[in-house]
Amino acid sequence: MRRRSVSSFVYVASLLLSIPLFAHHGNTAYDTSKAVVLKGATVTKFVWGNPHTFLMFDVKDDKGNVVHWAGEAGSPSSLGLLGWSKDSVQPGEVITVYMYQSKTGRTVGRLNRIVLADGTVLKDSALGYREP
Amino acid sequence: MRNCFAASGAILAAALIVSSSALAQDTPTRRPGQVDQRPPSVYEKMANAGPGGPAPIHDLNGFWNGPLEPKFGDTPSLTPLGQSKFKLNIPDPFSAHSNDPWRTCDPLGFPRSATNETRGLAFAQMPQGIVIMTQYQKIWRMVWMDGRELPKNLGTRGGPSSRWYGYSVGHWDGDNTLVVETTGVDDKTWIDRRGYPHSVDMHVEERYTRIDRNDLELTVTIDDAKMYTKPFVAATNKFKFTPQQQEDEQLCVPSEAIDYLNTIAIPAGQDEIVGQK
Repeated sequence: MRRRSVSSFVYVASLLLSIPLFAHHGNTAYDTSKAVVLKGATVTKFVWGNPHTFLMFDVKDDKGNVVHWAGEAGSPSSLGLLGWSKDSVQPGEVITVYMYQSKTGRTVGRLNRIVLADGTVLKDSALGYREP
Repeated sequence: MRNCFAASGAILAAALIVSSSALAQDTPTRRPGQVDQRPPSVYEKMANAGPGGPAPIHDLNGFWNGPLEPKFGDTPSLTPLGQSKFKLNIPDPFSAHSNDPWRTCDPLGFPRSATNETRGLAFAQMPQGIVIMTQYQKIWRMVWMDGRELPKNLGTRGGPSSRWYGYSVGHWDGDNTLVVETTGVDDKTWIDRRGYPHSVDMHVEERYTRIDRNDLELTVTIDDAKMYTKPFVAATNKFKFTPQQQEDEQLCVPSEAIDYLNTIAIPAGQDEIVGQK
């Protein structure tokens, strides 16, 4: 298994641009002009913590190789207002992830939203979420 | 490195101008292009709650909700020693080069506990004093109200040692203002997220004024002649009495923060992107 930069298996969806919001953590590292969409993502770890919650997951690329990804989201306090909890997502679940990737091309980023297998949409807080 | 932070500071300032309402202590107003997707916090819901009646005398007891952050006060004027210490403090928990103690969830210390993540605050009357509790990191500070003096000769051989949250005494100024004086704070801690330093001789005054039943205002003033040429207001804040009297659990856990740094913050490459090597 290995990490790879974004490749053809990633469908890039353009999202509405909006004025960046200031939060107590920066978003400088991420390309917030567009979100990558990662379907069939298998959750490997979910950390409900401060300063930021983050999600780790695996996605197969177009050659069948498993690529490790990680995406951060807001703090538990801010995500809690949006319907998330410590138990919102469990390792082994298969979900769809919308994420702003690092400008370095590494497979880390800021979540926009995740969609659970039952269709539940969990949006990131103000720094990550934009309406599609 | 400092140039980077100067640039970051400029970006921060611009962001603050653009989105000042995100930090405002009242209900935020929607900016052009902003999506109204975030439900209001308890604090924001309380914005229009009204005074709720007169403030009780000498009584701050209970839970109070605050905004995410206070308002920073004056830009402090540093002494040469203060300048040299300030240059050593590299803010921004996203930077691989930062030495912000918050990055690994070290104790915030005081007054940073009053200038960083201020969403919850509580007061409890004790036989000889008042305990001030801070939601973030579940911080507990004892404020002696029995007339004792602050310790002297701090940090010297034979004298009392400095502490993360120092030593605090308090008194009432009139019916509704609690004045807390603090000194003896470990100089490893920062005053705020910007990295302003202090000595163990720093003297901090907190003035909590309950202007009515539901509203509490705080001013934090720092006097530290070793680091600053004159006293300055470090922060002001406004709190609302919490209807349900419940707090959230907000802990910055060292192992989780280090995991976050290694998994997200450092690989994300902020330093590379802004040109910091």
